[in-house]
Amino acid sequence: MQTKSTDPKVFRRAVGPENVSTEESELEHFRTAGLSSRGEPAAVVRPQGTAQLREVILLARETATNLVFTSSAPPRFRGDTVPAGEGIIVDLSGMDRILRIDRRNKVAYIEPGVTFNNLIERADEAGLKVLMPLLPRKSKSVLACFLEREPIIIPKYHWDMTDPLLCTEMVFGSGDLFRTGTAGSPGGIDRQLKAGLAHKNPLGPGATDFLRIVQGSQGTLAGVTWATIKLEAKPTVHKIYFACDDRLERLVAFTYRALRPRLGDEWLILGARSLATIIAESPGSIDELARRQAPWTLVYGVSGYRYYPEERLAVQENELARIAQAVGVRPVPEVPSCPAKKMEEILAGPSPYPYYKTVPRGAFADVAFLTTLDKAGAMVEVMSTACDAHGYPPSELGIYIQPIQQGRTAHVEFTVYYDPADEADRARACELVEAASWELDEAGAFFSRPYGSLSRIAFRNCPDSVEALRKVKQVMDPDNVLNRGKLCFGEEVV
Amino acid sequence: MSLEDYRRDIEGCSRCSSCKWVPYNQIKSWRFSKNCPSIYRHNFHTYSGSGRMVIGLSLMEGRAELDETVAEMIFRCQLCGACDSACKTYRDDIDISEVLLELRSYCVESGELLVEHMAVIDSLKREGNSLGELKTARGDWARGLDVKDVNSETCDVLFHAGCRYSYDPDARETVRGDIQLLRSAGLDIGVAGVEEACCGGRAYELGYRGEASNYADDVLNRVKSSGAGTLVTACSDCYSHFQYIYPKIGKELPVEVLHVSQVMDRLIDNGRLDFKHELPLSVTYHDPCHLGRKGEPFTGVWTGDKLDRPMSLKRSGRKGIYDAPRNLLYAMPGVELVEMERIREYAWCCGAGGGVLEAFPDFSASTTVERIEEALATGAEALVTACPWCLRVFKDAVDQTSADLEVYDLADLALISAGVAQPASV
Amino acid sequence: MISDEAYKELEEAVGVDNVSRHPAVLDSYAFQPFENHESMPWCPRPVAVALPSTTQEVSEVIKACNRHNLKHKAFSTGWGLWCGPTTDDVVQIDLRRMNRIVEIDEKNMFAVIEPYVCGAQLQAEAMKVGLNTHIIGAGPNCSPLASATSMHGVGHDSIYMSYSARNVLGLEWVMPTGEVTRLGAPGSGKGWFCGDGPGPSLRGTMRGYTGALGGMGVFTRVALKLYNWPGPPEIESTGTVVDVMSEVPDCLRIFGCFFPDKDRLADAYYDIGEAEIGYNCLKVATPAFMMILAPHLFKKLKGTENLRRLLGGTLGQMFLIILAGISREDLDHQVDVLKAIVDEHLGFVLDAKNIPTLGSNLAMNFIRATMPALVFRIGGSFSTALGRNDSLDTQLAWGEAIAEIKRGYAKKEMIIDDMGDNPYFVPYENNTWAHCEVVYPYDHRSEKHLAGSSAINMDFIINAIESCMEPMFGVVPSARKVLSPLTSNFNRWQRKLSEALDPDQTSDKGFYTDEAEFDFTNVPPERVERLQKLVEDLTWTELGPPE
Ligand SMILES: Cc1cc2nc3c(=O)[nH]c(=O)nc-3n(C[C@H](O)[C@H](O)[C@@H](O)COP(=O)(O)OP(=O)(O)OC[C@H]3O[C@@H](n4cnc5c(N)ncnc54)[C@H](O)[C@@H]3O)c2cc1C
Ligand code: SF4
Ligand code: SF4
Repeated sequence: MQTKSTDPKVFRRAVGPENVSTEESELEHFRTAGLSSRGEPAAVVRPQGTAQLREVILLARETATNLVFTSSAPPRFRGDTVPAGEGIIVDLSGMDRILRIDRRNKVAYIEPGVTFNNLIERADEAGLKVLMPLLPRKSKSVLACFLEREPIIIPKYHWDMTDPLLCTEMVFGSGDLFRTGTAGSPGGIDRQLKAGLAHKNPLGPGATDFLRIVQGSQGTLAGVTWATIKLEAKPTVHKIYFACDDRLERLVAFTYRALRPRLGDEWLILGARSLATIIAESPGSIDELARRQAPWTLVYGVSGYRYYPEERLAVQENELARIAQAVGVRPVPEVPSCPAKKMEEILAGPSPYPYYKTVPRGAFADVAFLTTLDKAGAMVEVMSTACDAHGYPPSELGIYIQPIQQGRTAHVEFTVYYDPADEADRARACELVEAASWELDEAGAFFSRPYGSLSRIAFRNCPDSVEALRKVKQVMDPDNVLNRGKLCFGEEVV
Repeated sequence: MSLEDYRRDIEGCSRCSSCKWVPYNQIKSWRFSKNCPSIYRHNFHTYSGSGRMVIGLSLMEGRAELDETVAEMIFRCQLCGACDSACKTYRDDIDISEVLLELRSYCVESGELLVEHMAVIDSLKREGNSLGELKTARGDWARGLDVKDVNSETCDVLFHAGCRYSYDPDARETVRGDIQLLRSAGLDIGVAGVEEACCGGRAYELGYRGEASNYADDVLNRVKSSGAGTLVTACSDCYSHFQYIYPKIGKELPVEVLHVSQVMDRLIDNGRLDFKHELPLSVTYHDPCHLGRKGEPFTGVWTGDKLDRPMSLKRSGRKGIYDAPRNLLYAMPGVELVEMERIREYAWCCGAGGGVLEAFPDFSASTTVERIEEALATGAEALVTACPWCLRVFKDAVDQTSADLEVYDLADLALISAGVAQPASV
Repeated sequence: MISDEAYKELEEAVGVDNVSRHPAVLDSYAFQPFENHESMPWCPRPVAVALPSTTQEVSEVIKACNRHNLKHKAFSTGWGLWCGPTTDDVVQIDLRRMNRIVEIDEKNMFAVIEPYVCGAQLQAEAMKVGLNTHIIGAGPNCSPLASATSMHGVGHDSIYMSYSARNVLGLEWVMPTGEVTRLGAPGSGKGWFCGDGPGPSLRGTMRGYTGALGGMGVFTRVALKLYNWPGPPEIESTGTVVDVMSEVPDCLRIFGCFFPDKDRLADAYYDIGEAEIGYNCLKVATPAFMMILAPHLFKKLKGTENLRRLLGGTLGQMFLIILAGISREDLDHQVDVLKAIVDEHLGFVLDAKNIPTLGSNLAMNFIRATMPALVFRIGGSFSTALGRNDSLDTQLAWGEAIAEIKRGYAKKEMIIDDMGDNPYFVPYENNTWAHCEVVYPYDHRSEKHLAGSSAINMDFIINAIESCMEPMFGVVPSARKVLSPLTSNFNRWQRKLSEALDPDQTSDKGFYTDEAEFDFTNVPPERVERLQKLVEDLTWTELGPPE
């Protein structure tokens, strides 16, 4: 279906005039993000609840309007909230209530607009911990973050790719309401809560898993109006360690042996530049800080819980020390300019405003994909070669390796920093990211969350999946009103 | 008993498939985890213990008709009993082995006969053996041995050689040696020579119950007239039939029945036999089905709710003869026993049983080869067994596959170790 | 009946030896007694059975079926009514010949397997490299692929090894059209380390909380997560199940934990979860344990009131837990924690170390989940009230409610009296959620029991709805029809997806999307009314469930 100009005013019917805006100051946030191409947002529509969202979608179907969901406040970097062509932005960030925190079952009920800061505070009061991605934007929606399968930094709690997202309420592109997991069980939520449900089971209902289908769909299939999120108990004692090395393989070997029996809590590997970017207190100190770091730093946490906390901590420390010694790695309590305590604080919260990755040069572009840990080194090689070829110093590349699925999979994230005001620099970053993506693809990188032009690479590899996904799209969003043209749902892919 | 008598057993099957696997706690690898040669070869559920029981139900319910194909499905089974002992791990109330026997009898009574089996029965009727050999040659194996003839003398121990040991040139020496060894240990032994006939167990297994009964009578009479207090056989098949089929059909032998390995084990225990000759050999031991799980004595027909059947009367397969052969191997200086993965009540069949060797030689051979591969996987130099039927098929398979594996009868190793035979003869 | 032409095409697909339409063979597939609440154990007879050995052959079989308007229905090991056809025009695909462990990736802790690899096989091979696989409670005879892709997935080890559906890393799938597709990283030719993406995850179409039960093509390969196994490559084990003796590896400790009441037991569960200990954990009722292990004795003793009080009451609230340590120090710590928790909640522990025969009996039986088939002994069959997994508290409550229902039926001798409480309760993922089903044995050869089982099942459904659960047994067409409108209209959506991916509806949908009316024959009228009232009250409108 072709994109069609729609008078945004029609949406007033659904959300009231006060919740439809055509102010340029608001629209500009959705014209472009990162390296994405320009879109043409016509209005921002702000539903105040599920019923309104449903109305919006039904209206979009009537008027063949392209809807683009957003739940986070700006800045935005990935282009998934920039319409391909014309579109109406459906901003859910105003739905920002934390509906409930259940201490016993360790779960939070949140609306899309809830940000990490809010949630951390509320969880903390209950003695619980939010499973954090690495330094999310302060304004980032928790729900949107996990809908995008953003990795968390404690691999042992990442049992499956949907974690820590549990149950959801969603409105399909057809305008139909659906609840996933145990939220979809008979009865409304109040009744379910009275019956003792804690909405901890993310699967179903029935023999289909719409949450899983919608996750990673970049708003192309449904809008999610609330969700339950898995929280964990706050440790009684907690310590951060570092292991620095000039060889990634050693840290990888350490990681494999440690994660297999689920030792450690936080567990991530950073290249010197990323580490420096994270710990730097001012942009000017990053270069120097990066020089002072080892090429690779593994950051890991160990914890003790309510019963025999010190004993548990000691067991973990000793086991990890044994493994470290066996693989030739030395755990230390600090790295240059960053003692353990500081890192502990950094990892526990969102990024300082606006976003740590913009600090070095003002803008950045990520290449993120999945692989296994043993292949991460080879991927770094490929990326470094590409950097060389594009005149980008590999030493300035941000590298973040996050074991997920309890160590079975690795999320690898390369960050190219650039100056958005310098067109040549921007173009170079653009070319580097494009070229490197192809080469990484060739080397086995799995672009499981392809944003923007990466979709072309990602979906070219799996024509069968594309065919099936398009059928699914047809079922859930029959008139193609949700984030038109994205992922494999555009004309140009495959 | 008839098929209908086992309806409750059959209807009790939950289709759990345990009858297709080595008991789960004992599964040690992907490769050697199956236990039923028949479904291993033919794959349809029909060919498992459960599947055959369902055939029975289907026939009883008139859903399927007995025809040549169904009969073949029923007979493509070694009656090895692995399904039964695996099922018994869980179930007190299902006797698969009995159902399998009833199915065969049902086929025979309904006239669905296999020509190859008819040939066996024909041979039995004409020559008293299952191998198509001349009756007049039956006693040749014992010629020249200094041993009593029970047709004219009494003795303490009656030795029953069995068809295969009597006729198979590769096996005859073994029983000759057995006699020498037992005699040298001071036993008063007699044999029936040319008058010995088949034990009839094969006939029973093939479904020809009348013939089986006749041969049982023959043995029973001979045992009685010999004055023996013990019947010893070297053949595992005969052993199983004496211990199980005979009492089941009301022909219980009024003497102690022993396999030759048990006798030797006792002789060692009481110091009358000494293995003194070094035999540097690593071996693995194959439990013959009929000596092992099917060597359990008959304990009576339980007519009530089988859940109320005392454990001691349940045919679990665990009370077969497993230790005596192993004790002998342990007692032989120089012999090192390396076990296969599938042993004792969950041993894999040699392939020869249940009339399969006669009727479906390819299927039999593929079963044998599977066991040879398992033996090879242990790294042992030799595969040892205690049954002439196993020995025959193992030897043939090793010849055909050129496997780097020696095949021995346990008794032959005993003879060497005891100094009764020379190493060259094995 | 299958036409000669269609049959010939099946022969061409898999070879003449691997297809059959002989009535006796077909009947061995139509025999599906478990959860078959009829007096005879048959399901509809398939028109043919095909035994493919490769993905390509599966595809050809399906395409041949499609050309001749025949449905197909696959199974891996085939245990339960849901494995058989539900209509008269189905070709049964028995995947027995697809039995390979394609790969065990030790470092990245996963295995790629085909359908007919059973749990015991995979575990035996995984243990050789220090890994373990999740085995569902049904037992190690089941196919890990089947439970991961197609049905449920609960096991005693779920505390450490999760739920089968959550253990999938990649999938090869012959779609109902016969086309082969791979999901996740393997779909892009990148290896088997992730089953989701790119973009939306098609894993969500493969299955949800339960599976398509053969209603959505055939799964031919799956990559499954494996988990750490700190024990030896092999556990020496002699004897079988009831009198098994296995060496208990030094890295394991086994405890029975008993509590004065359900609430304290629940609190202990929650605390154990937060302490992140435990490798295998199962709440079974003590009488059930006795019934399973010694049905003969149980039958004789169950009239004894004192024993009932002792087993069901004093010893009623218990679970068994196996701790696995990667070192002495680790194990000792876990033991300290467990004892402190049990103590705090006024319970006591029975340490199998002090009763070596018990430990030796339990070790392998629990690690390999080898006992469940014993449940069939007491009555010849059993059925189960499966709830909807969620918080531990709800699951414990479900267990109690169902036990109460069962007691009534047992008193009337409409099911076998197992002293009431017979839950199979397992916590998942460090006790962060849980599963509870309540088993009841019955004799499927007794008309009275058959009537009892259909009436009691209705009570379970009603109770499930009252407890806001979409029970796992909602896979039955009549239950699905009632539940779907109360439960996000899930079947409407399921059916739409099924129609999109299987346009000609060629997979047998009986246990997937088909709906049917309830047979209320044995159900008291007031129960029928109660059900109807619940349906009336809770049916979703376009704005969701009535709050
Ligand atoms: C006695 C008993 C106890 C049980 N207990 C438990 C339990 O504790 N926990 C639990 O989770 N489940 C349990 N179940 C249900 C169990 O999940 C299923 O029986 C099944 O998943 C077990 O695997 P299987 O090898 O038997 O699968 P199968 O019996 O082969 O198949 C199960 C279903 O999946 C479909 N299927 C199988 N393989 C494929 C394939 N390759 N492609 C497409 N469809 C396929 C079949 O059509 C069938 O509907 C139990 C079942 C029984 C009979
Ligand atoms: S093991 Fe026994 S109960 Fe199970 S399928 Fe085989 S015969 Fe039936
Ligand atoms: S007796 Fe042996 S061959 Fe026959 S069905 Fe049983 S296990 Fe299979």
